Amino acid sequence: MSPEPSGQPPHEDNLRPHTYDGIQEYDKRLPNWWLLTLYGAIAFAVAFWFVHYEASVVLPDGERVTQELNRVEAVKLAAMVDKLNDPYLWQASRNSAIVANGAATYKSVCQACHAPSLRGKAEDPKYIGANLADNAWLHGGQPTEIFKLVREGYLPRGMPPRGGQPLSDTAVLEAVAFVLSHHREGEPIVVEPPPVQ
Amino acid sequence: MSVAPSASARPGAKTLIVYDDRSVRWFMIASIFWGIVGMAAGALAASQLNFWQMNGKFLEWITFGLIQNEGLQYISFGRLRPLHTNAVIFAFVGNMMFAGIYHSTQRLCKCRTASDFLSQLHFWGWNLIIVAAAITLPAGLTRGKEYAELIWPINIAVALIWVVFAANFFWTLAKRNEPTLYVALWFYIATILTVAMLYIVNHLSIPTSLLHSYPLFGGVQDALVQWWYGHNAVAFFLTTPILGIMYYYMPKAAERPVYSYRLSVIHFWSLVFVYIWAGPHHLLNTALPTWLQLLGMLFSLMLWAPSWGGMLNGLLTLRGAWHKLRTDPVLKFFAAGVTFYGMSTFEGPLLSIRSVNAIGHYSDWIIGHVHGGTLGWNGMMAAGMFYWLAPRLWNTRLHSTKLADLHFWSAMIGILLYVGAMWVSGISQGLNLLATTDGGTTLAYPIFTETLKAIRPLMLARLVGGTLYLAGFFLLAYNIYRTARSGQPVDGTVEVAVEEHEPSSVMGPIRSFLNPPILTCGFALLFGCLWLFGGDYLRLLSIFGLILTILIAYAHFSARGLTWGRWYDQLLANALPFSVFTFAAAAIGGVVQILPTVLAYRPENVEDRIQVLYTPLELAGRDIYIREGCYNCHSQMIRTLVPDVMRYGEYSRLGESVYDHPFQWGSRRTGPDIARVGGKYSNAWHYDHTIDPRSVNVDSNMPSFPWLAEQETDIASLHAKLRVQRLVGVPYPEMTESEIAASTEQQARAIALDLRNAGKLIAPEKELVAVIAYLQKLGKSQAVGEAAAAAN
Repeated sequence: MSPEPSGQPPHEDNLRPHTYDGIQEYDKRLPNWWLLTLYGAIAFAVAFWFVHYEASVVLPDGERVTQELNRVEAVKLAAMVDKLNDPYLWQASRNSAIVANGAATYKSVCQACHAPSLRGKAEDPKYIGANLADNAWLHGGQPTEIFKLVREGYLPRGMPPRGGQPLSDTAVLEAVAFVLSHHREGEPIVVEPPPVQ
Repeated sequence: MSVAPSASARPGAKTLIVYDDRSVRWFMIASIFWGIVGMAAGALAASQLNFWQMNGKFLEWITFGLIQNEGLQYISFGRLRPLHTNAVIFAFVGNMMFAGIYHSTQRLCKCRTASDFLSQLHFWGWNLIIVAAAITLPAGLTRGKEYAELIWPINIAVALIWVVFAANFFWTLAKRNEPTLYVALWFYIATILTVAMLYIVNHLSIPTSLLHSYPLFGGVQDALVQWWYGHNAVAFFLTTPILGIMYYYMPKAAERPVYSYRLSVIHFWSLVFVYIWAGPHHLLNTALPTWLQLLGMLFSLMLWAPSWGGMLNGLLTLRGAWHKLRTDPVLKFFAAGVTFYGMSTFEGPLLSIRSVNAIGHYSDWIIGHVHGGTLGWNGMMAAGMFYWLAPRLWNTRLHSTKLADLHFWSAMIGILLYVGAMWVSGISQGLNLLATTDGGTTLAYPIFTETLKAIRPLMLARLVGGTLYLAGFFLLAYNIYRTARSGQPVDGTVEVAVEEHEPSSVMGPIRSFLNPPILTCGFALLFGCLWLFGGDYLRLLSIFGLILTILIAYAHFSARGLTWGRWYDQLLANALPFSVFTFAAAAIGGVVQILPTVLAYRPENVEDRIQVLYTPLELAGRDIYIREGCYNCHSQMIRTLVPDVMRYGEYSRLGESVYDHPFQWGSRRTGPDIARVGGKYSNAWHYDHTIDPRSVNVDSNMPSFPWLAEQETDIASLHAKLRVQRLVGVPYPEMTESEIAASTEQQARAIALDLRNAGKLIAPEKELVAVIAYLQKLGKSQAVGEAAAAAN
């Protein structure tokens, strides 16, 4: 598109006879690449419709998602080895890398209710979470019991499953290990059962 | 086409016509004023996303503690964002479009606008509507549908003023002294007719009071109608009128002929026909039935070429005038505007591909896409047109070309910063939210605010870009002001020979409709619809019919193409049949999508699962949720995507929002989806989270809503609201006022008691209690069989 002297139409063009308020129009033929885009998109649309709607080669959205989620569950189940016992969790609570990850998760998810000090309500009534730093436990104080509670939550007392975030089991485990890092194996445990709702 | 002198007037008699340019000046000034207001509202809203304190707390700082608040409801993001969108679309672009249409239509028709009274009524009516919007939206009066938030009395005023505009325009066409219609007028006709149709259908609602109404459609129907409207507001309010303006002002400013008439014809008709089908691309991967999603995606792809036809005709008109871009700010703005149009209309089809959309939807990519169109196309075209018009309307020279150049570069850098930041932000957050690890079994970024933290610097860059753009617009306002001050308002004139249409150019209904182009289009549409909706044999038959029609059309056009051209030339002299065909082309897509949806996807036909009705208190809470504009940041639609399901729970079923008038599927996830938030957190958590989101989530950028704990729920209006809910098809039982009061009181007390047990003291009458009741209901559904059993 080199600059041309203004007012001089390129000589190969014919102008339409009519002028509108001084505006003239060429009638140049449509660029081939533009026509190709137009026809190509139409042809693609028809073909796509056939494949996705008429021919039923592709699974409906809902079924596709359900199938994929089944696969995910199968993988998870297969990976579930029986390592989640109390000694394992105590061991994890003494591993600095795991505890550091757990501390980060605690900070972004748990801390809002359980306070940075882990003392929850005991720290300040504005926190709604229970005290995790003392020896009194509402739902059992063994590491596996704590892990189960965090994973499943207890809504009557305001504890959402996994702290209300779609945390992986690994992240839950790390957070529990962080809490356990504030406790010692074999320390006395007082269990208050939850009130009947 | 030659024109014979009128028989009644003396042959060759000339009359002097004075154009009404006063209205043009007023619309232009209004557009500049509202442009500044709307963009400033946008900049404030953008700052709120980075700094939650901008929702009201900053007032405490700038008044040295005089005004104490954690959040001011009138400027809270959920109310400010609708103000921004309405102001820039309807006030800025609206007034700009009217200025351009009034100015160019008179010249293209060689006659003064038909009625000065109607022009004045149009100007004052439209701008009073905008003032009403600027009052009602911050006050929280809304219909809860994007770009259709204004309440029903204002809707009626908009429709009436639009009719005034249409009457004035078509009356002017009827009086024209120019036998045929120039392409700019085709686009104006398409705008006026289609916007009227879209606006009326999407605003059908039944009032519950003077200030509140429920939309006629609910759930999936409302979603489809809303995005049919929303998408085509972009098409027919932000695109077609501006294309018309381009077709008039671009060749004027470049002093070059338009590139190709036949490209005008092809791209006008394909654009008008195809655009209207593309609405469902706003609902990809949702509970919207697959056939509609596919239509939305495929028509969006087919829209690419028609859109680029407009860009080509604009840019190639500059052939032979490119050197003027160096010196003429008008052409600079036009060339940039049309280029941004081309970029946005490539990006749109790209985003409509379902797999791309899985990343882009609900993310900043869409915000970037929209602003590429509005700042780049609408804003640049507006600036070009204003700089071209001002010296002519005030009979002077532009005050300063240098300032206009500065405006250009400030706007250009602003847009690039804005759009670039939003692309990076949208794509990275979209990818983060979809990312999985451990062989696809767990989310890579399970904590939503982690993905928000990552895009904060980009959101800040957006604010800087937007502010630069606004600064440039201030330069425009100053430049135009000085230009106007340096001259005198002047109305254009033209001397025309008294003309009359050639009798042979008048088209009867038979010549209008029974001709090869219209017949083949009609048959192609008929067979296309039969293919979509027919049974097995009919479908097969219709595919053959469609192929046959195309072959016949092709053969006839090859052999007798000249007759098609002559027919079209004649059609251009006949505004009525032309308008009828334009309306038909624009209406057909909507009919094919909306009619079956309204007939088929009704509550009684829902399979699988259906939502549990809201209690009166929950309904009141829902209306507060809508009032605060929560849908601007929270979707209620879990898509059929595995990461969505992992993050938010099972994908949303069509029946789970079927009683929602209006639907609340949302369009942007600044916060997480909340379709299944009910029961996920305790009441106490919601209490803390609503009053001070950062008390439970340190990285949240949600505004604080302290006033919800102070204001009392409006129970008195519930009787009328439930009556209207029944009218629009929600199966509520008849309830007396006292029954409603008893029901709400019981539920509210239970929640307040639960909160008190958690140490949160609040009276059951407060709005927050109703909002918590609503939030805890989200995602509650039952199997269709159970629902039927419960009803009997």
